[in-house]
Amino acid sequence: MPAKPTTGIVTQDASTPWLTLKMREAMEAWLFIGPTLAGFLIFFIGPLIAVVWYSMTEWNLLAQQATFVGLDNYDDALFRNPDFWLVVRNSVIFALGLVPFNMALALALAISLSRRFVGVVFFRTVFFAPVVTSAVAWAIVWKFLLQGEAGFVNQMLAHIGINGPNWLREPDWAMAAVIVTRVIKMVGLNMILYIAALQAIPRDYEAAARLEGASNWQIFRLVIWPLLGPTTLVIMVITTIGSFKVFDHIYLMTGGGPENGTLVLAFYIYKQGFEFFDVGYASALAMIMFVIVMVLTLVQLALRRRDT
Amino acid sequence: MTSLTLAGIRKRFGKVDVIRGVDLRVADGEFVVFVGPSGCGKSTLLRMIAGLEDISEGELRIGDRIVNEVQPAKRGVAMVFQSYALYPHLTVRDNMGFGLKVRGVPPHERRQRVEAAAATLKLDALLQRFPRELSGGQRQRVAIGRAIVGEPDVFLFDEPLSNLDAELRVHMRSEIASLHKRLGNTMIYVTHDQIEAMTLADKIVVLRDGQVEQVGTPRQLYERPGNLFVAQFIGSPKMNILPIEAVAGKLPGQPKTASLVGVRPEDLELTEPGSGFVDARILISEYTGASSLLHVQLPSGQVFLVAHDGEAPPADTSVGLAVEPGRLHFFADSGRRAD
Ligand SMILES: Nc1ncnc2c1ncn2[C@@H]1O[C@H](COP(=O)(O)OP(=O)(O)OP(=O)(O)O)[C@@H](O)[C@H]1O
Ligand SMILES: [Mg+2]
Repeated sequence: MPAKPTTGIVTQDASTPWLTLKMREAMEAWLFIGPTLAGFLIFFIGPLIAVVWYSMTEWNLLAQQATFVGLDNYDDALFRNPDFWLVVRNSVIFALGLVPFNMALALALAISLSRRFVGVVFFRTVFFAPVVTSAVAWAIVWKFLLQGEAGFVNQMLAHIGINGPNWLREPDWAMAAVIVTRVIKMVGLNMILYIAALQAIPRDYEAAARLEGASNWQIFRLVIWPLLGPTTLVIMVITTIGSFKVFDHIYLMTGGGPENGTLVLAFYIYKQGFEFFDVGYASALAMIMFVIVMVLTLVQLALRRRDT
Repeated sequence: MTSLTLAGIRKRFGKVDVIRGVDLRVADGEFVVFVGPSGCGKSTLLRMIAGLEDISEGELRIGDRIVNEVQPAKRGVAMVFQSYALYPHLTVRDNMGFGLKVRGVPPHERRQRVEAAAATLKLDALLQRFPRELSGGQRQRVAIGRAIVGEPDVFLFDEPLSNLDAELRVHMRSEIASLHKRLGNTMIYVTHDQIEAMTLADKIVVLRDGQVEQVGTPRQLYERPGNLFVAQFIGSPKMNILPIEAVAGKLPGQPKTASLVGVRPEDLELTEPGSGFVDARILISEYTGASSLLHVQLPSGQVFLVAHDGEAPPADTSVGLAVEPGRLHFFADSGRRAD
């Protein structure tokens, strides 16, 4: 900048912008995150607040009339309505069955498919494909395959002399069937996450361990598994949350039956809201589910932190 | 007795021959350095000795045993990796004790041996740290410590110093040398740094394209390189090579079969024009402190390097180049040494 003739009077330089650099940067930042932030407020925080409010009203969609009832709906769910605890129990069974099964299978697949061999891409694709297929098509096809005597699965079992149950009509088998079919649908996602994590582990670790006399199991247990820790945690959290939110799969395969044997939380909420039009009660249930998932996530994170 | 014998060793990756017939004897307690350009198969050969790559053809003996089919852990070798390969989730203590642990050595003995190794490498104060909390040189030392703890017969090093800065490299080099003196084990060391090779080795193996070009002591390789490749690979700056026709008159000791003559920059002397074995004109002189490196041009147009002590003449000066007769290297057309 050329020096100005000095007059002895200090004036503000004409080139000084109206806003300081810092303010301009801040403005740009807000401009960039603005749309996302607005969307977040309108479509996430907004409904969340609305649900909190609804959960404290007695609001019947048909009657078009809302009355404030305080914590009545929560009281209903937690202490008066035995259905609620049945549903929670079902959700927990579903999660306890699905999460370990899914993770163990995902890890086993990832370990077999993380090396290079002819056809590996084909196998990865095969296991990942269900993740991107429509949940509706998936459920309908499986419902068909799992039919009583005429179902494909039972016909196959009959060939090897096993008399299969009517999978989706007996409460215990129905639960097992929805878990297994859900795992097959979603395991590819976790498999990909594990493959990525395995491939990020330098090969030298394995070589060093082998040279020092570690068996395959020791290499896995003492080197690979600990290094997969962060990935395992992420997978555990998202799979657990996913299992508590499962809805379409249950809706289409069993409709919550038989004898409410597969009636899980998310589906129960749907039923209360959109079949019985009891929006207040459904909202209270949604809040309870929100808290359950939140607590589970925090517990898992805390466990992980204690480990390291 | 832990000698090693490689006989007709070959390695194929698919259709590519990476190691193409290596024969080598390593004596007990010897420090052998594999050196060669990038991609020549040094690491592959080392990993074959360790058992991390299988041997496509040939026979490998460690001591009196043929070990081709012996598991890596049962060969009595320990390896220090270029990447160090320290387990990031374990402390220095657990890293060093890992091998003992998986082999079922009881905790108190493990403790003793780890601490003894740590003491010799001055790692005592670092035992509770994780690898990420160590400097490059410290990691290097832990990697060596981990190898020592297992009390192997043979140590294998794959470019262990290549991730360190120049100063630390010189320091760790001397530590490895003194480690060898103290332990007296057979050691095989891979590098592509010829200074490292020269300073550490009892015996250097020069590799190119999966084949041994020459085996010898550092002095033998420097003073009597067996072929053009070794002549130019060992020594820095590189040996000057000149077609023999470019020299007026006959050189002392020139064999009949020679078609190329080589002379090291440090063996050349500047003289009056016409009094050396060839004349030259100075192009540039690079002052490096202890001496100057002169780039000179011969009448044939070729550029030679001359390491010159003392005052360097200015550019464009005409000079003669002289050399002691014993310092000339003659090579045949094939690249082999001709005398
Ligand atoms: N697993 C493998 N599959 C196929 N080719 C390989 C494999 N490992 C090494 N090679 C090839 O073998 C050759 C020798 O590799 P190697 O790693 O032994 O070289 P190097 O001498 O150690 O080189 P550097 O000095 O760069 O470490 C290279 O051409 C490399 O591409
Ligand atoms: Mg290498």
